[in-house]
Amino acid sequence: MAVLSNADRADVWAQWMRDNTQPIDVTKQELRAAFNAIDDWVETNSATLNLAIPQPARTRLTAAQKARILMAVVQRRFVRS
Amino acid sequence: MATVYIPVSPLGAIPAATSAATLTTVLLASAHPVPGLAFDAAGDEAVLFQLDLRNYGSGNLTFAMDWTSPTANSAQVIWGADFLAYTPTTDSGALSAQSFATNQIVTAAHAGTNPQRVMRSSLTISVSALSNDDIVWVRFYRDADNGTDTMPGDAVFIGGTFSYSDT
Repeated sequence: MAVLSNADRADVWAQWMRDNTQPIDVTKQELRAAFNAIDDWVETNSATLNLAIPQPARTRLTAAQKARILMAVVQRRFVRS
Repeated sequence: MATVYIPVSPLGAIPAATSAATLTTVLLASAHPVPGLAFDAAGDEAVLFQLDLRNYGSGNLTFAMDWTSPTANSAQVIWGADFLAYTPTTDSGALSAQSFATNQIVTAAHAGTNPQRVMRSSLTISVSALSNDDIVWVRFYRDADNGTDTMPGDAVFIGGTFSYSDT
């Protein structure tokens, strides 16, 4: 799987800015750089993450299901404490 | 000579046919809503104001605008305005054939420390072919795709005043 296209990155970045309700102290260009870097990181580390999932979940869950698990864990750890 | 003032409210704005700024509210501490127009950070959005410049004399049109940001406490917004005047009865062209004059922009910085401060910025709109009692349309927009518009999140226009000289 490749990194998101430039258009997809722009869509995600734009929607995040619309949804955000918390004060933010970076420019929108600096924010976009963060999105790009995180997408790059996901691309680099997705295989490692997959290998960390024990069997049989690794092979029986779809990529979308594993992505939603990741989202749930990250949200509970960093967004809703 | 006197200066004529025309206050405008977000509620009196005409949404652009495409990519219009959207009505929103900013709540005061007492929960009373202040109406605003939210201009997106990622793409240009616009509204129109229709003005009747009674007793217009000469000079430019000035737009003093009050705006805020729900989330940003720094950076800057590029506000822009296009201008179109039409003389009723005298002008013979179809309304649909009229086009806006070259736009004017202003760089408006949000002062640091706190989001939701209200900033006041002034935009001088160079008028052309403007006569007394013309109908005027001002297209007001955020130039979000301008590289120097750096503020993340919506910029919210909460009101403004157009002014001009009557002589």
